[in-house]
Amino acid sequence: MSPEHDSDRADLGHPDPEFDPHALNQEDFLNEVHSFEFWFQAVEGYLRDRPYGHAEGEQSSPVGVADLGQSEKDSLITTLCNYCVGETAALEGASGMIAIAPNRHSKIFLATQVADEARHLEVFLHRLRDLGIANPEAEIERRANPTLLVFKRRLLELVRSGDWSAALLAQNVILESMEHSAFMVHAATADPVTAEILDGVMKDERRHLGFGENDLGRLLADHPGNRARLAGIRGELDGLVLAVFSRAADDLATDRSMRADMGREYLETMDRLGLV
Amino acid sequence: MNNQASTDPITQAVTTEEPRRTFELEDRGFREVPKKWRKFYRHWEGEDDWLGPNEIICPVCKVVIRSKRELRVGDRLYCMPCMSRMVVVEAQDGSLATEVIY
Ligand SMILES: [Fe+2]
Ligand SMILES: [Fe+2]
Ligand SMILES: [Zn+2]
Repeated sequence: MSPEHDSDRADLGHPDPEFDPHALNQEDFLNEVHSFEFWFQAVEGYLRDRPYGHAEGEQSSPVGVADLGQSEKDSLITTLCNYCVGETAALEGASGMIAIAPNRHSKIFLATQVADEARHLEVFLHRLRDLGIANPEAEIERRANPTLLVFKRRLLELVRSGDWSAALLAQNVILESMEHSAFMVHAATADPVTAEILDGVMKDERRHLGFGENDLGRLLADHPGNRARLAGIRGELDGLVLAVFSRAADDLATDRSMRADMGREYLETMDRLGLV
Repeated sequence: MNNQASTDPITQAVTTEEPRRTFELEDRGFREVPKKWRKFYRHWEGEDDWLGPNEIICPVCKVVIRSKRELRVGDRLYCMPCMSRMVVVEAQDGSLATEVIY
């Protein structure tokens, strides 16, 4: 353990006035952010006292539900069902990736991601129950977007094939940026309880998509020969991504500028990685 | 010693640059990283928000990254919330931007 880590522990609650994270060397930085300890202290900061993703005081009744119109409620149920599909894909994808991750820090990071994805699935299932859905599993089956199911199947095939870079691209870059964009657009117009749940989920997704882009970026810098093959996989998945975005935007009844916002993050990420 | 330094063209180039402003960072309610790191980040607060000379937006996760010093081209920064490393560059319009370094 580096001296930086020791001082982190000692300084918790008594910050060292000279401490500057931007002065860390890259190895210490990566060790820090991929650690279980970092994850634990981060989620503790924004999830404490928020069972099922929102403040306890608001939980006595299914808050916000009474204020929703029938069609608004129906759209929210469809959207949440598809979030559950996406989160199940992320949970199964991330857990499968632990076995094929090439190093210890990726395995540890993915273990924290698995816990995050399980929590996301749980809070969305809980919100579905708030909305009067007695059997969320059956409802998810009924309302799941078929294109998202195809994406999930393809993602899990890539994970099972043991292809780390392709799995990382599909799971931690593509799926994560789809989810983060959809949640961001949705949170802007959602009822307050759903918005608070989404806000907590997005904080987790920031780590997942950042891990994906940076780890894949390092991999491509070390092995540029992989770029063409991965660009091909991106091309193969692109149609599914666009179809998922389009359907999600319909469900959320988003306007044209918000639709553009949804796809922008994904396109910018691909651009930075040179997967065009 | 000082006189010698001022006649050295390289040192002179550095010393004629405006001195950097420094900033006392306060906690802005950012909770996504362990306590020690929190004052170095904040959330963007929408249209009426503005960036200080020591602040820049992470291109990956859109969180505002903060430094104790005024930012200059070439500075290296870390975004702990999304684990990105970046360098400050000059954008086409002359403003400061960032480029992710993998
Ligand atoms: Fe998730
Ligand atoms: Fe995720
Ligand atoms: Zn970031």
